[in-house]
Amino acid sequence: MAEARDRHQRRTLILAAAVLASVLAAVLIVVTTAADLNQYRALRFPLGFYLLAQGLLIVIVAVSFWFSRRQDQIDEERDESEEL
Amino acid sequence: MSTHSRPRTPNPHLGAYYGIVTSAFLSLVIVLALFEQLGWQQMWLAPAMLIAPLLLYLAIAVAARTLNVEDFFVSGRRVPPVFNGLVMAAIVVGGTGFFAYAGTVFFLGFDALAIGLGWAAGMLAATVLFAPYLRKAGAYTVPAFLGHRFRSRPLRIMASLLQLPPMVLLLAAEMKVAALVATHFLPITYPLAVAAVGTIIAGIAIAGGMRALTWCGSAEFVVSALGLAVPLIVVSIMLTNLPAPQLTYGETFAPLQKSEITAGLTPAQPEELATALPAAAPRANTKPFLQPFGAIAMPDFLTLFLCLTLGTAALPSLLVRSGVTSSVTDQRRSGAWAALFVALFAATAPALAAFVKLLMFQDIAQFPATVPPTWLSDLSALKLVFARDVNGDGTIEAAELLIARDGVTLSLPAAAGLPFICILLTAAGGIAIALAAAAAHLFTLAGSAAEDLIRVVGREMTDLPRLVVAWVAIAAAALGTAVFLAIADVDLLQAAVTAFAFAAATFFSVLLLAIWWQRCTRLGAVLAMATGFAVMGGEIAFGDAFGSGQARFTTVIAALIGAILALIVGVAASLLGGAPSPAEAKYFEELRDPGGEALYDRAQRRAAARP
Repeated sequence: MAEARDRHQRRTLILAAAVLASVLAAVLIVVTTAADLNQYRALRFPLGFYLLAQGLLIVIVAVSFWFSRRQDQIDEERDESEEL
Repeated sequence: MSTHSRPRTPNPHLGAYYGIVTSAFLSLVIVLALFEQLGWQQMWLAPAMLIAPLLLYLAIAVAARTLNVEDFFVSGRRVPPVFNGLVMAAIVVGGTGFFAYAGTVFFLGFDALAIGLGWAAGMLAATVLFAPYLRKAGAYTVPAFLGHRFRSRPLRIMASLLQLPPMVLLLAAEMKVAALVATHFLPITYPLAVAAVGTIIAGIAIAGGMRALTWCGSAEFVVSALGLAVPLIVVSIMLTNLPAPQLTYGETFAPLQKSEITAGLTPAQPEELATALPAAAPRANTKPFLQPFGAIAMPDFLTLFLCLTLGTAALPSLLVRSGVTSSVTDQRRSGAWAALFVALFAATAPALAAFVKLLMFQDIAQFPATVPPTWLSDLSALKLVFARDVNGDGTIEAAELLIARDGVTLSLPAAAGLPFICILLTAAGGIAIALAAAAAHLFTLAGSAAEDLIRVVGREMTDLPRLVVAWVAIAAAALGTAVFLAIADVDLLQAAVTAFAFAAATFFSVLLLAIWWQRCTRLGAVLAMATGFAVMGGEIAFGDAFGSGQARFTTVIAALIGAILALIVGVAASLLGGAPSPAEAKYFEELRDPGGEALYDRAQRRAAARP
């Protein structure tokens, strides 16, 4: 029981930290390089503008849905091991 | 206690109901568009277009009326994730986003994107860090959760009082924007419009509490999405031949930059953050749209982003919706849906701003000042745009065209020469989302006052008195805010940013510690909240909150400093004080277990079973 719980807590914490850290890192990188990225084009937008206006939003939404599925799996595995 | 009177399955006909709501609203628009072509006067079209949706919301509220405590405070815990996502997105964006954010992007272009990005990232942070655990706890308000977690009634009362500033500011901003838009089109005065808005949101909240908020809020989100999307798609087809504004507005950048140069725009220099955010009063657009960090420097851009992220994640009126879904899993899913809807809005607002700027700047270069384009006289009549040939050179330049920040969204249909009904449609959409957000803030504020301040004193309250107290609190809070609006001049954007800053400084750290750190003690939680609030309060009272004043110590920076200090103080006080009590440790243990019933519901059931 306790082992399954600790394992579940550890994995939950790692997932949360990984999700938030990667989104934060992506935002930091794009914001600091945005002015330079603007010389490239994406869908006829300057790239830096495009990433801030849409690219990062798409990343955030995708990560939200992925996180919700991944955390469900982690929770289910705890349920299963506790039932054993 | 009749907490388990009904099964937790959502109504299977919800999709059909909202299909009907959507098509009813669209038919209204089409019928009125026909009447406009047949020569109906604007004075008849405006009431029909703006008041009919209000009747729809009130009808939904009446249909969702309830006398059940669980329905009233957590919508019966059976809201499907998509619908909860709709309402959460409406709360985050609100009328402030619909009008003030679009206006900010219009004036600052690139630099304003920090705000939309902050909202979406904050939704993600709330979903990862807080919402699922609050669902497991099942408390009806955020202060109640903190009170249960630390087994402390004073802590609960303190949290309820500290959430007043952000909630009152947001409520006032949303009520104001709904009232202002109404006064543009209906023959009513501003105080009367504020009173009407207050009555409507209080009526919705009293009739069905959280249940009515959920179902009205979903309808209001649909109306606001149509109000934003329909004119924008039409303009997108006119300008780029494709009905997907978010994908195609990049094409308009080349002509936009050209017309900016013709209109006399030169690259701007970054200002201090406090003064860089545009105020509501009509002003000239002086920054090229695409210039990066021309108004807000890069460090300030990041500060603004982080402040809105933390503030959104810890916003009480958003987190209070963590109890309404049927499970922890559904709560996470609804957070992801909300992030999607917020992101859709945040991706759409820049398209709108770019289109408005292109249409306006293209035209003013071509027309002599003596014969202004039709949209200019139309929008001048609505007091949204002012133009005067100051230097007398015969043309209107960018510096001579003054535009109201909150009128940019409404200007789009007019600037594109669309029929009057399209302006009304956008106005109806803006009023809808402002009402959804206002009702949510009102309910959070008043529900907490009723549950955490009044009921904590009289514990043995049964269902009906509990609801009566909440009704009185809702009516009192609506009245109080209406009076506040009559006295104080609230700027939407400043009020919203300050509210998010308060939420970030006061609640982010304490929630983080309460949910993620078993060792956090009552003392640590109290001091963390007090520290964050004191830093923000000090900034508002002594620093210069809204610009003009000293140094770079502005609201958003104060919010981040407050949140960090709160975290440090909370950790230090927890470690230095005694260990948490066994009851707190047990509550934390159960909070972290995703399975099983909501802790609050279980406690209620056990209390009811006791002889």
